Amino acid sequence: MSEPSRREQPTTDAQPATLEHATLGTYLIVAGILTAVTGLEFGVIYVRRLAPVLVPLLLVLSAGKFALVVMFFMHLRYDSRVLTFLFVAPLVLATLLAVAVMTLTGEFLVFGR
Amino acid sequence: MMSRHDAVTSSLKEMGGVSPHVVSRIFGHSGARVWSWLTTVDHKRIGILYGVTAFAFLVVGGVEALIIRLQLARPHGAVVGAETFNALFTMHGTTMVFLAIMPLNAAFFNYMIPLMIGARDVAFPRLNALSYWIFLLGGLFLNASFLVGAPPNGGWFGYANLTTRQFSPGPEIDFWMLSLQILGASSIMAAVNFIVTILNMRAPGMTLMRMPLFVWMSLVVQFLIVLAFPPITVGLIFLMFDRFFGTHFYDVAAGGDLHLWQHLFWIFGHPEVYILILPAFGIVSEVLPTFSRKPLFGAQVMIYSGVLIGFFGFGVWSHHMFAAGMGPVADAFFAISTMLIAIPTGVKIFNWLATMWGGTIRATIPFHYAAGLVALFTIGGLSGVMHASPPVDLQQTDTYFVVAHFHYVLIGGSLFGILAGASYWWPKMTGRMLDERLGRLGFWVLFAGFNLTFFPQHYLGAVGMPRRIYTYAAGTGWGFWNFWSTVGAFGIAFGVFLFAVNALLSLRYGPPAGADPWDGRTLEWRTASPPPPHDFDEIPPVYSRDSFWREKYGDSQGRKPTPRPAVPDPHGIHMPAPSHWPIVIALGIVVAAVGALTSLALVLIGAAVLVGGSFAFALEHHRNAAHVRQEGGLGVDHRKVAMWVFLGSECFLFGTLIATYMAYKGRSVVGPHPHEILNIPITTLSTFDLLLSSLLMVLALAAVQRGDRFQSRLWLAGTAVFGLIFLGFQAYEFTSFVHEGLTLQTNLFGSTFFVLTGFHGGHVTLGVIWLLTLLVLDLRGRLGTQDAVKVEVAGLYWHFVDVVWILIFTLVYLIP
Repeated sequence: MSEPSRREQPTTDAQPATLEHATLGTYLIVAGILTAVTGLEFGVIYVRRLAPVLVPLLLVLSAGKFALVVMFFMHLRYDSRVLTFLFVAPLVLATLLAVAVMTLTGEFLVFGR
Repeated sequence: MMSRHDAVTSSLKEMGGVSPHVVSRIFGHSGARVWSWLTTVDHKRIGILYGVTAFAFLVVGGVEALIIRLQLARPHGAVVGAETFNALFTMHGTTMVFLAIMPLNAAFFNYMIPLMIGARDVAFPRLNALSYWIFLLGGLFLNASFLVGAPPNGGWFGYANLTTRQFSPGPEIDFWMLSLQILGASSIMAAVNFIVTILNMRAPGMTLMRMPLFVWMSLVVQFLIVLAFPPITVGLIFLMFDRFFGTHFYDVAAGGDLHLWQHLFWIFGHPEVYILILPAFGIVSEVLPTFSRKPLFGAQVMIYSGVLIGFFGFGVWSHHMFAAGMGPVADAFFAISTMLIAIPTGVKIFNWLATMWGGTIRATIPFHYAAGLVALFTIGGLSGVMHASPPVDLQQTDTYFVVAHFHYVLIGGSLFGILAGASYWWPKMTGRMLDERLGRLGFWVLFAGFNLTFFPQHYLGAVGMPRRIYTYAAGTGWGFWNFWSTVGAFGIAFGVFLFAVNALLSLRYGPPAGADPWDGRTLEWRTASPPPPHDFDEIPPVYSRDSFWREKYGDSQGRKPTPRPAVPDPHGIHMPAPSHWPIVIALGIVVAAVGALTSLALVLIGAAVLVGGSFAFALEHHRNAAHVRQEGGLGVDHRKVAMWVFLGSECFLFGTLIATYMAYKGRSVVGPHPHEILNIPITTLSTFDLLLSSLLMVLALAAVQRGDRFQSRLWLAGTAVFGLIFLGFQAYEFTSFVHEGLTLQTNLFGSTFFVLTGFHGGHVTLGVIWLLTLLVLDLRGRLGTQDAVKVEVAGLYWHFVDVVWILIFTLVYLIP
């Protein structure tokens, strides 16, 4: 009986499940940023000069808050990449489908019927 | 080797559950047997339950089809009236999709996946039982509509606004709408369970690329289920609100758009086609190599093709809507994407042919069905490509050409694949062989009957026979082929009957199968037939794809892998204990559904049983040492993986709710409008509150992890209180809106706003209850460091609720 080749060796897909965790200080900084950005969001809607860029600005700020909570409070930055895939792939797909539904159904109709 | 009875009994003693001996004393031996099936959590038994139940529903759906065919056999048919005919085609479609083909596939998922990946059970055995009981009771609830003379009659697609109260005032659509939501919950639970099982419970050495094709296709299907079911769930919730509470989602006069239902239905409906067909593709990919004595040709490409089919499946839904008037750009996009999906599908067909080519073919029963699938699905696939062209589709849509097409896909594909799998794994499940001659006779009867039924329907559709008509005039010239189509339908029924007879005879007279009757390639053939309760005495190591074959025959040069010592179970073989809580919860759900059609009191009783059962279910094994660590091959706890998969599903749920709000924004025909009523300063405060609750949640988890009881209680309580404050803000907002004249029924804005934010509030409420439960456990000294993962999973849910609010705050409140 011959020795098994490298390909025959039992292997797994396992990666290091977690890296180091965030410290209390990191959590407090993130919470501070979230609070500040929320205040900023509230403020910018009253600034007339920002009206032309208000929607993209709000979307960017919102996406930033979303990412901070997911990366730090939900630990995705420190956890297995499989978990990131399990969440981010559906999130991206859901976003694309939501935009498609808005485009095909609603006031965002750009194709014409 | 431990017997099933020994394993369950020992486990019951350990768990302090209801002993079979006690049940036996009260109800006798047969009562104990029934009880053991009612409370089973064994994946193999649950697989059998799925198989038997789904086969019974297949017969019900088949009888409905036969009546349809009898009605259409002759011009001016008078077997049933138009109303009954509508109910029959509605129930036939709904039954075959949700109660027959999907759960028949689930039978194989349950029975075979743990065996094929070298696991002892699924990741969450009790959740598995819960999925089954919800499915069974949901199916019975749907069919109970016949007993009260109100079977659903709006088509399996339930197009709005035919389904709204105005045009369907009776309870028919309510039965359909509620049962589909119940069945959807069952499917999502099962899918989350199987994703975790496949990702986290594979035997050592079984990398993803070494997984059998059936497991791979099953994995793709589970992702399709968790992602495709939320949009239809939301669509059904809108319908429920329109019917029960007078909202305007599908009310054109109030600004609603009927296309919304069609989009939500087909965003689910097209992936559903792959949910039905991909398991059959996986089965064929196991059967053909075994009976060709060759490895699957291009196995890796087959995997990628399956994944691509699943992915593209989300980008083709609107080809079901070419006749709805979406415009040339949308039509062109969906035509191209639909044609693209033919590429990975064609790859599979050619690879199956290449697998058989030059092989040492054994034409057994399963091989017949697998080869039959290749032939028949190809015909269905080719007519499908024809529909991808919008001008051609406009000629074919709503004709019998389409009926022929999808039956070639779903019978020629799914059902033939299922019968291939049933005959292939029958010896493994029962320990008995089927009769080959009777089996082949059954195949040929079914094959001939199927083609006689559906091939002429291509012609009937091409000459203009519409779908869903309950009769036709003699002068149309459709009578001849309709007659033969009906004859063929009885041939299909006889073929299925022969299969069932063969199976029943085999149970009594079939020769013993042995562990490996087909000279199989994958791990399920490595254990006894039928397998012991714990599946494998030792978890088998995996050396390569087709590892069992390599163990027996070596590689192409005959080199066998060096046997590796078995992986010991560090805590011994622990089998999950039976539980009666799954059936209690399922009963609660169905009682609530019955109450929705009859009385509020029943709704409350059902809800109480559901809530009480859920608490008992959740806490049943809270202090069980065997449940503390549930880490798998990914190095992550099963519960954590499950929560992330569930949150992925939730992205689709909230994505659909938010997309609907945005699509309907500004379309209310009467006020009040958002800018007149939304209170942004107050909502900003509640947003601060929810964000801070997330910080407290993180602190609570850290405290539990380091065993700091004071801080864990403090921060858990703090998080719950902040959640309650948020709910208080929401209650204030809702109340003030009602006082200002905005309700669910006022306009489209009221409908979309209250449903979206109300659903979010419901999630917050659930999160608060979860946190308070953890707090009570902590106060009673029952939340130690070993329970940190429970807090972590609750925290993930809580943070997700937070991030959803971040989006709602921006999209609903801040963007003008």
